[in-house]
Amino acid sequence: MSVELQGIVRRFGATAALEGVSLNVREGEFVALLGPSGSGKTTLLRVLAGLEGTDAGVVRVAGRDLTGVPARERGIGMVFQNYALFRHMTVFDNIAFGLRVRKHRPHHAEIATRVRRLLELVQVPELEARYPEQCSGGQRQRVALARALAIEPRLLLLDEPFSALDALVRKDVRRWLRGLHDGLGITSVLVTHDQEEAMELADRIAVMERGRIVQFDTAEALLRAPATPFVAGFVGEAARLPCTVRGGVAHFDPLPLAPLRAALPDGAATAFVRPHDILARAGGAAMVRLVRQEGGGAARLVVQAGEVVLDATVAPGESLSRGEPCRLTLRGGHVFSTTGGCVQAQPLAAAMAS
Amino acid sequence: MSGAFRPANQDSPLLRGLLLAAAVLVALVMLVLPLAAVLAEALRRGLGVALAAIAEPDTLAAIRLTMLVAALTVPLNLVGGVAAAWCIAKHQFPGRRLLVTLIELPFAVSPVIAGMVFVLMFGAQGWFGPWLQARDIQVVFALPGLVLATMFVTFPFVARTVLPLMQEQGKDEEEAAATLGASGLQTFLRVTLPNVKWALLAGVLLCNARAMGEFGAVSVVSGHIRGETNTMPLHVEILYNEYQFAGAFAVAALLALLGLVTLAAKTLLERLAGREMGGRA
Amino acid sequence: MRSNPGMPGNVLPVGRRGLLAMAAAGLAGPAQAQQANTLLNVSYDPTRELYREYNALFSAQWRAASGQALRANSSHGGSGAQARAVIDGLQADVLTLALAYDIDAVAQRGLLATDWMGRLPNNSAPYTSTVVFLVRKGNPKAVRDWADVVRPGVSVITANPKTSGGARWNYLAAWAWALRQPGGTPASAEAFLAALYRNVPVLDTGARGSLTSFAQRAQGDVLLAWENEAHLALQEFGADKFDIIYPSVSMLAEPSVAVVDRNVDRRGTRAAAEAYLRGLYTPESQALVARHFYRPRNAAALAANAARFPAMQLVTVDEMFGGWGTAQRTHFADGGVFDRLGRGR
Repeated sequence: MSVELQGIVRRFGATAALEGVSLNVREGEFVALLGPSGSGKTTLLRVLAGLEGTDAGVVRVAGRDLTGVPARERGIGMVFQNYALFRHMTVFDNIAFGLRVRKHRPHHAEIATRVRRLLELVQVPELEARYPEQCSGGQRQRVALARALAIEPRLLLLDEPFSALDALVRKDVRRWLRGLHDGLGITSVLVTHDQEEAMELADRIAVMERGRIVQFDTAEALLRAPATPFVAGFVGEAARLPCTVRGGVAHFDPLPLAPLRAALPDGAATAFVRPHDILARAGGAAMVRLVRQEGGGAARLVVQAGEVVLDATVAPGESLSRGEPCRLTLRGGHVFSTTGGCVQAQPLAAAMAS
Repeated sequence: MSGAFRPANQDSPLLRGLLLAAAVLVALVMLVLPLAAVLAEALRRGLGVALAAIAEPDTLAAIRLTMLVAALTVPLNLVGGVAAAWCIAKHQFPGRRLLVTLIELPFAVSPVIAGMVFVLMFGAQGWFGPWLQARDIQVVFALPGLVLATMFVTFPFVARTVLPLMQEQGKDEEEAAATLGASGLQTFLRVTLPNVKWALLAGVLLCNARAMGEFGAVSVVSGHIRGETNTMPLHVEILYNEYQFAGAFAVAALLALLGLVTLAAKTLLERLAGREMGGRA
Repeated sequence: MRSNPGMPGNVLPVGRRGLLAMAAAGLAGPAQAQQANTLLNVSYDPTRELYREYNALFSAQWRAASGQALRANSSHGGSGAQARAVIDGLQADVLTLALAYDIDAVAQRGLLATDWMGRLPNNSAPYTSTVVFLVRKGNPKAVRDWADVVRPGVSVITANPKTSGGARWNYLAAWAWALRQPGGTPASAEAFLAALYRNVPVLDTGARGSLTSFAQRAQGDVLLAWENEAHLALQEFGADKFDIIYPSVSMLAEPSVAVVDRNVDRRGTRAAAEAYLRGLYTPESQALVARHFYRPRNAAALAANAARFPAMQLVTVDEMFGGWGTAQRTHFADGGVFDRLGRGR
């Protein structure tokens, strides 16, 4: 089902958790709400679920206005951050709950069949008779998902579903969940603060900052063309470097970095440069602090350039070790002028060559 | 000093022994001995005399009245206490903190004052006195007054035992139930209540024990009419003041036994609850 | 964000409705504690045994006379507190209190006519009592009269006259004796009472409390007590434990009785209530009264129990102190004579 949010405002006392959020999710799409804590992503999810009221705005699911419709009538499945399983019920009863509280309650045997099918789907049929306390974090997550799916939701909401899992399990569960989504085709909205998670799972990512969606696009587009300095900084581990634009060139003095071509008006600006666009070669004013070997690719470095500590990459054919001096060149980056302009910057040499 | 190694965080065996002995001694002298004394005094002239004293009509009336007051008070406080705890733990509303404080008010206020408040409100000279008299409704010095005073004194028991648990559990499970399509009542009956059932039972038992044993507030609103408005604790005092020691201690022992049975039931419940929890771990 | 306010729906009205429901249930319970086939005598503490017996007697007599089954109940407590309870709505048909003063307090609220005292013989006091001394067997401290009570080394048990009606009588009896001594003046009486209370180790709040202190906890050498309480102590704890000493001067206490007009008219119990009180004056009841160690008004009954009630010089509050109102103001009100004694202690 498609989801349409228009101008959602939610205030708690004097502070606004959501300041006019609009978002369109296509049917069958997997969307991630990505942002730091306090950006309003969980509040937005709760507004969708009907657990949170709104002060202004419209929520439409499949074209139907859900404003004022209570959570229990929305038919939207939700997986909570800590799973919120009913602790006094067995796994079976947890999953059956949504079927049993229906006005037209299905027959006993039918409930059992459906619960077992769901347990198969989430691959934990052996947990049927256990209590939540007796399950591991990963198992609980699967049970919570099965419980949410039991009501055959038109829309599935996932609130930080991986935060309670070990880093090791997380990747597997993520892939499994994406596979499940592709199989079922349920429109899904995921809340996360982890960009890796968002990029791997979601078709599109809505980046949230202080109660607003600042950019809503595919992961590739977010990396290629960040709409604001916040997105450029938050997505893709970019280093934030202050610079000055003079005659279409960004200068980084006093940092020992080569200038970049940036077609912006003269004045102060900020450049966001990703580690693989910062290349280090032996000899220079910067210094290697740490070396981290990456499997296959070039070694990643932590270098000190003046007052700034940066993640950088060893230039092809070079070899650097800890404590050695180095010089840094930039292959490109995003430069935002304080007046609002934004360009994709390029090295001077490359620009001249072209 | 012996050279034996002892972890630094462990007290000397002597000190531990002394503390243990002190605790046992205090428990014996302050708790067990007085109870034993009541039982011994009740049976001093034989079980027959004690039973005969209990079978006396005024005493039987007092026992019946006490049971009736408890039977009316406990369910009302169960509903009220759960409602209050539920409102406080699961919802935000203006005056929430005030309600938390109000629940504890009966613990802070002397029961005698509680009794006087009801006389002030429902007595013949009280705020509602003329209105009640015009309709020939007797509140104080009759059963409704006894129930009201007992309810006031025992109100915190259910609410205070259930509230911390409800607060600790938060409202996640209720929200989950809502997204799964459960109505408010279904959520309450299937999720909220089962989650606090053991605490609730413990609170009910404590409430019951106190409802049967309450003296101060009840004394003020009773009117002390023999066979009519005397509850067991009041009757114990009357018998004692009439030098009917056998009767006084027989009723006192019965009252104490009712309390002990309640306590035993509570302990059993806690063990059952513990076993259920332990089984899942 | 998770801790933010939650579930939709207004909650407070539910809670309020719940409270109302509870209140309604409490009120709607079996409201009437008594039907009109009961009669309630609201009395004071030391008459428990007397009225327990009289209630049974009266119920039988009333059934014989009228054919109506009537259960007479009584309620006991401090005389002042009982009057207060009736004012607050305790449905008393008759009052049998320690002091006319307490019945006056009820009459002032309009529950009965203010001229109640003239309705029955002997100022509506069917029996009297007085203050005596209870001492340990053999009277080891040789206490014979009030003068001995203030001797150093004699420990006296009496309750606080501020809270206990009986203790007021003790106080006034001592005052009356002191004033009747040759050269007695209010000043000398005050000095005498100051000396007396110096011999009191602890002031209990009620008369029964003092009796328990004296008899059960073996405190003190002499207990100032109602005559009937002193006899009761002999009966309960054994005549081999205590002796009763009759001082030369004491108070004539006239415990008063009255019908509560407003209650009997509403409950339709006037005839029974009046019969209940009139019945206290019959020879049979007067003998019963004497058995419970109250001095009967009936001359024949008194003569029959002359050994039990030795003649004493008895004074009334009216003749000695100008009535209870004056006595109360002068001696027991805040800042009165009793408070002055306390300051000297």
